[in-house]
Amino acid sequence: MAERKPPSAAAWPPRAALTVLNHDLPRVDGPAKVSGRARYTHDVRLPGMLYARVLCCPLPCAEVTLDLAPARKIPGVEGVIELMTGKTGYLGQPVAAVAARTPEQAEDGLRAIVLTLVPKPWAVDHAQATAEGAPKAGRNGNVSKENVAGDAKDAEAAIAGADAVVEATYTLPVQHHACLETHGVVVDYRGGDQATVYCSTQGTFTVLDDAPGELGLKSSQVTAIVDHMGGGFGSKFGIGIEGKAACMLSKQLGKPVHLMLERPDEFVTAGNRSGSRQTLRAGASRDGKLLGFVGDVTKLGGTGGGSFPGSRPYIYSFEKSCVRVRSVYTHTDSARAMRAPGHPQASFAMESLVDELAAKLAMDPLEFRKRNLKDPVYRRHLDAVAREIGWPDHPNKTAPAALADGIGVGIGFAVSTWGGGGGDGCEVDVRIDRDGSVVASVGTQDLGTGVRTYVAAIVAEEFGLPLDAVVARIGDSRLASATPSGGSTTTASLAPSVKNGAAKLRGMFAERLAKTMGVDEARLRFAGGRVADEQDSKKSLSWQQACAVLGQEGLSARGTHQSDLAANGIHGAQAAKVRVDTLTGRIEVLKMVCMQDCGLPLNRMAIRSQIQGGMVQALSYGLLEERVIDPQSGWALNANLEDYKIAHPLEIPEMVALIDDEDARGVIGLAEATVIPGHGAIANAVFNACGARIRDLPMTPDKVLAALGKVG
Amino acid sequence: MKAFTLKNPTSLAQAIEILGARTQGAVRGSHGKLQVLAGGQDLLTEMKEHLVEPEVLVNLKGIGGLDAIQFDAQGALSIGALATLTSLEEHEGVRTKLPMLAEAARSIASPQIRSVGTVGGNLCQRPRCWYYRNEHAKCLKKGGSECFSYSGLNKYNAILGGGPSYIVHPSDLAPALVALEARATLRGPAGEREVPLERFFTLPTEGSVLRENVLAEDEILVRVTVPAPATGMRGTYLKFKERGSFDFALASVAVGVAIEGGKISKARLVLGGVAPIPWRAPEAEAALVGQAMGDAAWKAAGEAAVRGAEPLAHNAYKVPLAKGLVFRALQSLSRA
Repeated sequence: MAERKPPSAAAWPPRAALTVLNHDLPRVDGPAKVSGRARYTHDVRLPGMLYARVLCCPLPCAEVTLDLAPARKIPGVEGVIELMTGKTGYLGQPVAAVAARTPEQAEDGLRAIVLTLVPKPWAVDHAQATAEGAPKAGRNGNVSKENVAGDAKDAEAAIAGADAVVEATYTLPVQHHACLETHGVVVDYRGGDQATVYCSTQGTFTVLDDAPGELGLKSSQVTAIVDHMGGGFGSKFGIGIEGKAACMLSKQLGKPVHLMLERPDEFVTAGNRSGSRQTLRAGASRDGKLLGFVGDVTKLGGTGGGSFPGSRPYIYSFEKSCVRVRSVYTHTDSARAMRAPGHPQASFAMESLVDELAAKLAMDPLEFRKRNLKDPVYRRHLDAVAREIGWPDHPNKTAPAALADGIGVGIGFAVSTWGGGGGDGCEVDVRIDRDGSVVASVGTQDLGTGVRTYVAAIVAEEFGLPLDAVVARIGDSRLASATPSGGSTTTASLAPSVKNGAAKLRGMFAERLAKTMGVDEARLRFAGGRVADEQDSKKSLSWQQACAVLGQEGLSARGTHQSDLAANGIHGAQAAKVRVDTLTGRIEVLKMVCMQDCGLPLNRMAIRSQIQGGMVQALSYGLLEERVIDPQSGWALNANLEDYKIAHPLEIPEMVALIDDEDARGVIGLAEATVIPGHGAIANAVFNACGARIRDLPMTPDKVLAALGKVG
Repeated sequence: MKAFTLKNPTSLAQAIEILGARTQGAVRGSHGKLQVLAGGQDLLTEMKEHLVEPEVLVNLKGIGGLDAIQFDAQGALSIGALATLTSLEEHEGVRTKLPMLAEAARSIASPQIRSVGTVGGNLCQRPRCWYYRNEHAKCLKKGGSECFSYSGLNKYNAILGGGPSYIVHPSDLAPALVALEARATLRGPAGEREVPLERFFTLPTEGSVLRENVLAEDEILVRVTVPAPATGMRGTYLKFKERGSFDFALASVAVGVAIEGGKISKARLVLGGVAPIPWRAPEAEAALVGQAMGDAAWKAAGEAAVRGAEPLAHNAYKVPLAKGLVFRALQSLSRA
């Protein structure tokens, strides 16, 4: 037997040669999702399955005692467990859980628990947490040690020499992930040494970090299934407290347990985007150069630290800067990662500040930005979105519009940055069978970026097959290992492994076919559903014929990460056009435009969809979303999808998603970058439209009218 | 949701007989123990959230003939209490003859809710105040001793007519129907009685603070009638929603004017979302009559409409907002 040649490293073909990738590919699992056939964790139904609920503490801080006995008497209730007693640390802390034969019985059981609360002083917002003698929400008080970067004296000196100075405080509320599918699991453990955990998670394999320990099993004895999941945005790693409760109940009762959080619980106990309060001072020279920046930043992350990017002014280049960052702790659930953690907060304040400086200097805010962004990619992106939104013909570039009938129309801009690179950790098995079947298998999850589609597409491209000739299997921990989806790293981690595996397999298949066909392996081309000698068209096999040469064992290869197929570091710019009615304070977003780079676009349709989704989520954050907890009573006042307002179809403007095709790099993840600049662009557009500078999100009509001086 | 008994009367008489229990013996005074179910879009939510825990639901949907929408020969409109919001919104006669009413219906909630929610239910729905809707808040409206919104987070609460409760009435049909001079027909054991819809709704200081209307314990709202509009009368309903797709009004205005010889000869103006009842503004109406349609009259009407407003800590914006809406609504009538 001839010695097999080592497979050569894979490379992406030139973009012009691509027939599947870099095209619009409708999601392969789209029909299953829209028809309801796709099975989410919430949909799992197993024989003998019990439904469980958790009881969340309704006050931010209280001494809790529980009497579980009445719950056990409720018909259908099979298990009641205590999760904690004593002094609670945050509003919504789970204290008990109930499992019953029906969801209704579980709720009755939960309500039968006698929960005795002795309220303790709490702090739920910045003012309460930083007041003299405030009750402690953090282990060492409510304000963390400061992280200081840069020299304050130098920065102040630079500001002192500036021609225009702006000092302002920008605040952003706590935002919710508002995943359509709430957090939760179905734990199927009926005793013995095998268990299956269905989980709504953004990390199939993160389930194996937590669940086995809770069940008293080894990770080799637990299978995690994440067939489909209904949104995570950073909030769904591991199984969470609710998952632990489900494991405890399933283990205790020997039955499958379905525990998905109820929507109100989701709003208080399943994480959030940290709020932010930023007092910024900056100066610029008459000719539009940013000189000095002093930032004083507070993160409001509940019992957690919250997020804020880096230690330098966000993206823009100042000659001298000093940034101080600290966390303020409150008796609310810990912030979790949320789509570009910290960046939307930093971006809103910085983009508003830059805009305020431009206005003070009576400079075109687009030109002002370009002058102070070192990276030329931003200038290209800003020019592109400016053209698309109609900036060149916009009449009022350097001052608010003249109102017509009390209505102003304005345009605003903002930029973003993100990593999006990948790394080791994903392995992909690619397999061809003698009947022509092609399967790519990896245990990864689809957080919403269309993983099944691009996994199949990369393999289809490699073999010159149509997309539907390849099946992608994901969402099962018995398949090859994969990294969790965080930081938009999945595509740049997974796609190179798929490509690597597909290329290896093609090499193996070509070697085999070369013998059968009597053709030099190097001359075999895989295209149009055929394998052919590129110099002799008579030597050609259909895909079916080619696969028929394989034995019953088929042919398979395992792909591993190949770093030169991916890259890291992306840019984006967004523009928003709004109409503001100054009589009512109504902001109507007319149009949003985004240009985003992402290296090689695997699926253009999915990328545009990500960009649009990012713009919608930013619009929603900018205009509507805000967690409301009453500081007096401690109640969560809008813990439901009616009062916690997220954008619906009628809020969505015309959206233009532009992919930067000048970016020649390998694949990079972009999903998070797209949510960073939209609300800042809208705020700047509102100012440009009517002169109302709103420094506090969300930009609701009360704030618009107040900024216009109309609230008496 | 707590378990309950569902009663399915097939006639109004049967339904009223069941409701009669509210006035007798064990159930007396406990309005919540028997509840009338129509579309269920508010009541079922209240039950799921344990704001009410009725023992008996009296389902009206088995009673025939309560969902008719019809104009009589004189042009008066009769709307059965069980008519769905969608059927009102899509009714050709309503759209052409009373566009204000069709606009109000269309502004409510979402298409899904409108297809099930009823006219009677919309008029009788309970407040949306987030303290009222919080199970843990034993507020005035739920028999407690405090209106938490008064000193709490009251962005969405009343600027007019408030105290001791500061809810705003959530109905969109109510301001439109009051502007259209509608009358409500209530059926009780002694037969039917008719009240002007304007008098159907009650301030917290009128009647019981636990209620928002004059319905007696054993009465059912069966129908609303709208007289034929006066000659030349044209109206519109303008609602301001924070979230356009699906929201209750931060403020709204229902306004109708008739113009003769270039001057406004008749005006009706009712604000929604600013008071515990649909807030008729006679001073605004007076400010319009005799004036020509134009900026000056529209501004004056807005000023008059909110005269006497007493905003709370977080809702002063509703004053300029309501004025702005009055202006925009009248302006749209001048363009139509």
